[in-house]
This record gives sequence, C-alpha cells and structure tokens, in this order.
Amino acid sequence: MSTLEIGVKETLVAPWPEWARRATRGRRLLEAGTYALTEGAIAAGCRVFAGYPITPATDIAEYMSKRLPQVGGYYVQCEDELAGMHACAGASLGGLKAMTATSGPGFTLMHDAYGWAITNEIPLVVVDAMRVGPISGITGAPGQGEFYIARYASHGGNFETIVLSPSSVQEAFWLTIDAFNLAERFRTPVTILTDQVISDMWEDLFVPEDYDALDFVVPRRHNLMMPFYPVGSADLDVPPNVIGHGTGVCVSAYTHTEEGYDIEEMEAQWAQTYRLINKIRHHRDQLTRYETVGVEDAEVIAVAYGANARTVKTGVLEARRRGVRAGFVRLITLWPFPDELFARDLPYVVCELNYDGQLVREVMRSAPDGRTVRFMGKSAELHTVAEVAAGLEGVARNGRVPELPYIWTEVR
Amino acid sequence: MNKLAKKYLRPSQIPTKACHGCGIGMIENWLLQAIDEMGLKQDDVIFGTGIGCVGRQTFATWGGDNFGATHGRALAVATGLKLAQPDKKYLIVVGDGDAASIGTSHLIHAARRNLGVTVICEDNMGYESTGGQFSPTTPAGYVTNSSPYGMVEPGFDPCDVVKAAGATFVAETTATQWHQTVKIVKKALANDGFSFVHVRFPCNENFGAYALGTRDTLKNLEWIYEHTQGRKADGTETDFTWETGIKHDASNSRPEFSKVLRDMNARVRADLAARAGT
Repeated sequence: MSTLEIGVKETLVAPWPEWARRATRGRRLLEAGTYALTEGAIAAGCRVFAGYPITPATDIAEYMSKRLPQVGGYYVQCEDELAGMHACAGASLGGLKAMTATSGPGFTLMHDAYGWAITNEIPLVVVDAMRVGPISGITGAPGQGEFYIARYASHGGNFETIVLSPSSVQEAFWLTIDAFNLAERFRTPVTILTDQVISDMWEDLFVPEDYDALDFVVPRRHNLMMPFYPVGSADLDVPPNVIGHGTGVCVSAYTHTEEGYDIEEMEAQWAQTYRLINKIRHHRDQLTRYETVGVEDAEVIAVAYGANARTVKTGVLEARRRGVRAGFVRLITLWPFPDELFARDLPYVVCELNYDGQLVREVMRSAPDGRTVRFMGKSAELHTVAEVAAGLEGVARNGRVPELPYIWTEVR
Repeated sequence: MNKLAKKYLRPSQIPTKACHGCGIGMIENWLLQAIDEMGLKQDDVIFGTGIGCVGRQTFATWGGDNFGATHGRALAVATGLKLAQPDKKYLIVVGDGDAASIGTSHLIHAARRNLGVTVICEDNMGYESTGGQFSPTTPAGYVTNSSPYGMVEPGFDPCDVVKAAGATFVAETTATQWHQTVKIVKKALANDGFSFVHVRFPCNENFGAYALGTRDTLKNLEWIYEHTQGRKADGTETDFTWETGIKHDASNSRPEFSKVLRDMNARVRADLAARAGT
C-alpha cells in the first residue's frame, strides 16, 4: 500500500532530497541505522568520537572505533558519559568536529556537559538512541521517553535546543550531516533523538562515494577575534571559538561577558540569554523539517516521529482505504517545536512510544483546541497498522479512540 | 602588579575575588615563575580549571586561552582538547573537590592514559567556597561546618591514587615551600605525559577558622609547615605528617595518550594505502 495507490499527496520538508539529487555517485548497501549515523558523521567531517558503550547505541561506538583512524580521526572510549560529552566539547573547542552517542541512562549523565556546550556555544552532535524506561527499562525495546529531556537537556533554563529525529536508515545518514551543519551554523550542540528500532534495523542505504566533494557540508571555521560571545545578538553563522590559536578566548560554566569573563550582573544575564534563546527562535524557519501525507483534505491527522511513524503512516493509508480522510504529520524537527504544523482546527491523534504522554502535550498546546487532541500511547513496541487505523476511524466516526489492549489514551 | 603577572596575566581579571590571605594567588605566582623559567610564552600554555575556590579565583586570570569546566570535568575536557591541540602545554589548576572527589574518575583515567597535561591540585582541605565542609582530603577528625563532631571518614591521598593509576610524574608540596614548588612544577611541565602536583594551602576563612581556630594567615601557614616537618614549633610531634617532594618520577618513560592515537592512525592509514596500492 503506497501513497500513490491511495492517491494522496506526500510532502517532505528537509534539505536532503536536494542533497540526494546532487550526490548521485555512490554505493547502495544493506546496513544498520547505527552504520548510517556513523557514516553520516564521517561524511560531515566528524573527527572525534568520545563516549561510553550502551545498548542500543553501542554499534555507533564500534563503527567509529574502526572508521575514525582511517580518516585521521580519534575514537576515545571514556570512563563514563560525563567524560564522553565533555571530551567531545574539548575536541570541538580545539577545532575538530565531534560526536557522542548514547541511550537514555547515558543521556541524563551528559546534561552536565550539554549545558556547558550550550552556554559556550560549542558545536557538537549527540545521538540518543531511546529505549523504553524508566532507567534501564527494557534494553532491547524502543521507547520515546526523552522528548522533553532532550528539550531541557540542562538545568538552569534560559536556552533553546535543537533536536532532530530520523525514521529510516537512509534518513539517519542525511539527517546526521544536517545535524552537524546546524551545530556549526547555530554554534550549539544538536541532539539526534532516535530509538532502538531505527538504530538496530537494517535497510537499504545509499552512501555517496566522495565525502570531500559534498558541497552541502558546512565546514568548521574558527573565530579568531572578539566578540567571542555575541551576547545580545541572534546572528547565525558566527564561527565557533577555538582554543589553541592564541586568541585568549575564555570558556566557562558562568554567565559571561562577550570576552568570556565570568560576571554576576543582571544585564549580562539578559544579554547572554537573549543570544542563547533567540539565535534559535529567530531562525526557526531554517530548522523545521517534517513530512506530511494527505493533510490537505484530512478530517483527522495522525502525528508521530521516529520508528513508529513508519507503522503510523501505513495506518493512515489503511484508514484512507477504509474511507476515513486521514492525514499524517511526521515530525523530524522535534525542537524547537513546530507549532505551525498544528494550526488547523481538526482532531489530531498523537501516537508515541510512552504511556505518560509527551509529544501529545505539545500538540495540545499548539492546536487551536487542545480538547480535540487524542492520545495513543504505546510502550516497548511499535503501534500496529490495525491499531492506528482503528484509532483514526474511531476519532473520525465517534470522536474518540476505541479501547485497545496496551494503548493508553488518558493524558490529563 | 608584579613583573610576572604583567607578562602572563590579564590586568582586568586580577586581583581576583579571593579572600584576604588566600594562598591561591601566591601559588599562581609560583606557577608563573616556573613557566617563565622554562621560557614558555602565553600561547604555549592552555589554562584549564574547574569549580570552587580554585576554579573561580584562577579562571580567566591567565592571559592566554582559558577554560573553566563544570565541576570535576576539567580533565575530561582536556582529554578531547589535547587530541585537537596536541602541541600545547596544559596547566590544569583545580581544587581538592575537582580532583579528589567529584572528578576523581577522570583523574584516574587521565593518569592511566598518560594524558599530556599537568594537574596542579590546589588543596585547601575542604569545600571552602560553599562555606567550609569537609572533603576527601580533610584530615580525619578535624572539625568543619559539615563535620561539627570531627570528620569521621579516613582521609584520601590523591598522589597515591594517580601513581597507582599510572601517572608518570607525581609530587606533593605546600604553600609554605616556594622554591620546591617552582622546581616541581618545572619538572611536571617538562614531562610529556600525565603530571600531578598536589599543593596544600590554607583557607583562613573556613578551614582555618573552624578546624584550626584561627583566621590568621601566618598561623595557618605555620600549621601546614609543621605538618610537613612532623614537629611543632614547641618541639612536640604533630598529629600526622605530610611527606612532601617528588613521589614518583617516570617522566617521558611511556608515550603520551594523544601520540598513541596519532601513531595508531598513521599505522591504520599506511595499511589502507598499501592495500589500495596492491
């Protein structure tokens, strides 16, 4: 069953369809999501991986340990995730693009370094391959429990974050390049929020032949002069600071002046926050990536991201086949949250891999009438096509999701 | 401003906000003397620190490039930075909290890897910037604001730990030993590998006031000096003794961490090229 057979319009808003048209020479492989995340990073110029093995992100570490020395890069297996992300931040400050990869238990440990990298505007990429929790949960099962944690990846507030989520092995490759580009342009860490299914599954993957020839990769530049921190400005494309070039740059955990000196004044706090929030908020148009199917004439729209967006999409087509004018929104950019995708006043059915309801709360906030937003939470396993179709049919015909085993519908 | 401060520090960032009589500034001056005697320039040295008295008072004083990591993580940051900037000298100036408590795992593993950095652990024997609680280097039995009945835990010697972990240079000194400290720091910086220098100094406001009963800088320095000698001014024995001096010197005896990785990369790439050629 395809969108073509059903006769609905499919739209993908992201930079990589254009990239794929430009980079046509390459190899077609059958590979895992972790492989695609690794190769995407290498293609984007990543030369340092520092991290700590954890299921289901371990394979990224293993692939990196093999690939990085081949391209003159460095693999560091750290004592813990605290060290992993701090070492990445150090490498990036030294001028090398860096990435780490983990799962929920490691991601929470990284928040120490995450906030440091946000404040100091250090570009790097963090992969979080989510599994079901809380805590260790079921290590080999997918979850989507870090939707909010990824947004609030540090304490203290006063920042925005960029979080992207792929839903196929091929997309994981392109999206990783995109994540590195955004990290450079926005001078901030970018999280790739993926899950156990996307990381572990094998799919066909096109990999370009010559990474050096990819003209859409944003190269690392160095900021060699003041201001090191353009506080009070929302400018994009400010080159990242570099340690070791004798610029006298100062990097710290404190609220800083434009030189990087620690300061305890309201004005400085305001100027720093203006920068950290507005460099992202003022450029949301350059950050929003998503996919839609059949939203134009929809009477009900299913919303999902990551692995379960795959079965949810097929569920939408099945609902169409049953005569329900169902639409589909797949978020790729999770944060900053694309409110504008939920501007139409119609029922939204949010399918996500947790029972507590996370993404659904943002859709409720964004939609004109939050009461029309329905929740279909599932945990440790993807939604089935039948469940999604039944949910959409129920909402379209009776205004509610029918009772289904292991589907959680209560949010409040 | 003295000659060395003028040469190496940032006029706008000194004097620091350190309390009256604090040893941090004095020790930093000795570090500058060692750097100067070695003929190093501002651009040759990257200055890294952490959180607490030592982090807050030394951050951004160095005229060259500076970083102040989150609490305990200066060595984790330096591990990545060293890969990108292997030719620099790294002076990682941290406190007992950073080195001997919250960041000990990074300290141990940096020593194990023989990461090419010099750690100066400036130890005021407690958490003084939070008001004087005990730390793992507070002598057992001493009174602090979180050990009102005496510290019940045994103390902790970071020199033993880093030596056991594989550090190639380990030394202990105090704020009462100027020339010895300068000599030790020069040796530490000359080691292309992991060097650890433990420097005890007095906190007058908290440790001095609560554990020793005085805010008098000279009396607190004297208390430290007596414990390096094992004998008080009146001739009686001290309750314990700190052995100062070089504890372990295996400088340049094994390859530095980033060099090990670079050498491996060269080997891997040579193999790849050879295979592509055949």
